[in-house]
Amino acid sequence: MRAGQAAIVVEGLTKDYGRVRAVDGISFQVGRGEIYALLGPNGAGKTSTVEILEGHRQRSGGSVRVLGLDPGAGGRALRERIGIVLQSGGTEAELTVGEMVSLFASFYTRPRDVAETIEHVGLAAQRRSRVRTLSGGQARRLDLALALVGSPEVLFLDEPTTGFDPHARRGAWDMIAGLRRSGTTVLLTSHYLDEVQQLADRVGVMSHGRLVEESTPDALGGRDVSGTVISFRLPARLRGSTPPAGPWDQPEGPAGGFTMHTDEPTRVLLALTQWAAAHHAELPGLTVTRPSLEDAYLRITGQADGEADDGH
Amino acid sequence: MATETARRSRPAALLALGQVRYQLLLLLRSPLGFFVSLVFPLLLMICLKVITPAGPVGGLPYAQWLTPAMCAFCLLTTCYVTTITSLVLAREEGMLKRLRGTPLPAWAYLAGRFGSAFVTSVIGCCVLIATAVVFFHVRIVWHALGYFAAATVLGIVCFFLLGAAVTTVVPKSETAVPIAFGTMLPLAFISDVFFSISHPPGWLHGLMSAFPVAPVAQAMEACFSPATQSWPMPLSGLLVVLAWTAAAVVVIALAFRWEPGPMLAVRGLGRLPRWPGHSRAGR
Repeated sequence: MRAGQAAIVVEGLTKDYGRVRAVDGISFQVGRGEIYALLGPNGAGKTSTVEILEGHRQRSGGSVRVLGLDPGAGGRALRERIGIVLQSGGTEAELTVGEMVSLFASFYTRPRDVAETIEHVGLAAQRRSRVRTLSGGQARRLDLALALVGSPEVLFLDEPTTGFDPHARRGAWDMIAGLRRSGTTVLLTSHYLDEVQQLADRVGVMSHGRLVEESTPDALGGRDVSGTVISFRLPARLRGSTPPAGPWDQPEGPAGGFTMHTDEPTRVLLALTQWAAAHHAELPGLTVTRPSLEDAYLRITGQADGEADDGH
Repeated sequence: MATETARRSRPAALLALGQVRYQLLLLLRSPLGFFVSLVFPLLLMICLKVITPAGPVGGLPYAQWLTPAMCAFCLLTTCYVTTITSLVLAREEGMLKRLRGTPLPAWAYLAGRFGSAFVTSVIGCCVLIATAVVFFHVRIVWHALGYFAAATVLGIVCFFLLGAAVTTVVPKSETAVPIAFGTMLPLAFISDVFFSISHPPGWLHGLMSAFPVAPVAQAMEACFSPATQSWPMPLSGLLVVLAWTAAAVVVIALAFRWEPGPMLAVRGLGRLPRWPGHSRAGR
């Protein structure tokens, strides 16, 4: 059973812990070479989903295929071809970075060069250091090195930059973006929106075990068209007149600003600017703002909260 | 499944050998493991020899009895105690879970652990015997050395598997040392490891012969007596050792865990596991 070009195929996946349904019938596909992000608040079911795909957990229902194989069967054939960065993976404190990476390289048929892998994650200077002496960010880069040393076709990254300082995050993003060039398929989970925007080709938003939306980061929540905010002030000579394409909100204040949330920014702007031009007027402070990813995300997961609450 | 990208896995036996090397390296670099496995039995042997009056045990010089007894103790610390403490630590730190995501087969990992316990035990026994020969004038009974080796191997296998089985009920790293020593020391006391109980009362005899330590220890001790001409372990003792070994294998097969966390939770046998944000979702 091979699924064409898709590296990961998830269909109707469910996972129950006792009576709690952590993953509630989700379906998605990740194409080869694609970077796909599962985004969602804590408890949304992201880690359960990823751990089922990694073979760390058994699913309760549905079907999953990674590289055409069932991770639940626990085969070595699959584990040869995937790399896993766990949320908190253990390391041997008393081994050196070089020993640790060499050890893991020895498990694989076609490992990457150890020194080159260490260099790639920026730990060349720590190669002879014991793992226990690494800083938090360095330890996370070692995690990545251990996942990459088997030259995986699919890489799972569970919250890869949680706890990083901004500089370290930037470095990790560069590394993950570099994987795209090598054609590695990446499934990452995150609750950082900027991370998803920076890295992912596509994003699936999870909330309460469901996949509530799937799109590109730019289009999340219809963000590329909907809910655009247009605002401007009226110049002195047009005070008192009514701008077209209303209704406009007019928050009180001396500036007399007008704002509008619209799903048709093009039509509204055209009418507005034509009107202003016809009066030979400039519109001071004219801005067109797309809603932020954060707005879209909060709206989507907020909606999902509402639905879930209604359901009970 | 043969696809164009299928990769043939490396021979598992080779991976197991690599694990032996890696576990030995870890032991050498772990102060606790090194002390418990190698230093502790040697220290104890010297102390017991120095403070114990030189009276004979079962017609033999005390050191002639003490040396194999301390070898049995070394098997307990190396194969049982250190297996529990280091396996639980590796599990709770997430090392086992990480290894589980690689092509390293589970059995190769455990075989590597066993190999390392085996090598360490043999080294430990050799150090004990060499020390005793040089300083306590203990004599090796060459004609029983084969039996001694066989009893030692039996002890290594049994105690290692028991240790691995016990890890399934150890909830976290902090409890590994008390559980390991708390079960091993009382058993060693009643099993002729620290001193020879020549005429145990009936209940104690029943207790000691229900556990696998006494048969192994007594067999090893007998092999340092020149009077021993045949396999010194009675069949009943051998059966007890084999029964415990088999029970340990069953427990490992059913309940061995690769993930940190409490026992029932992870295996989903009733209690709710910790999964991210569970408390939040439950509200």
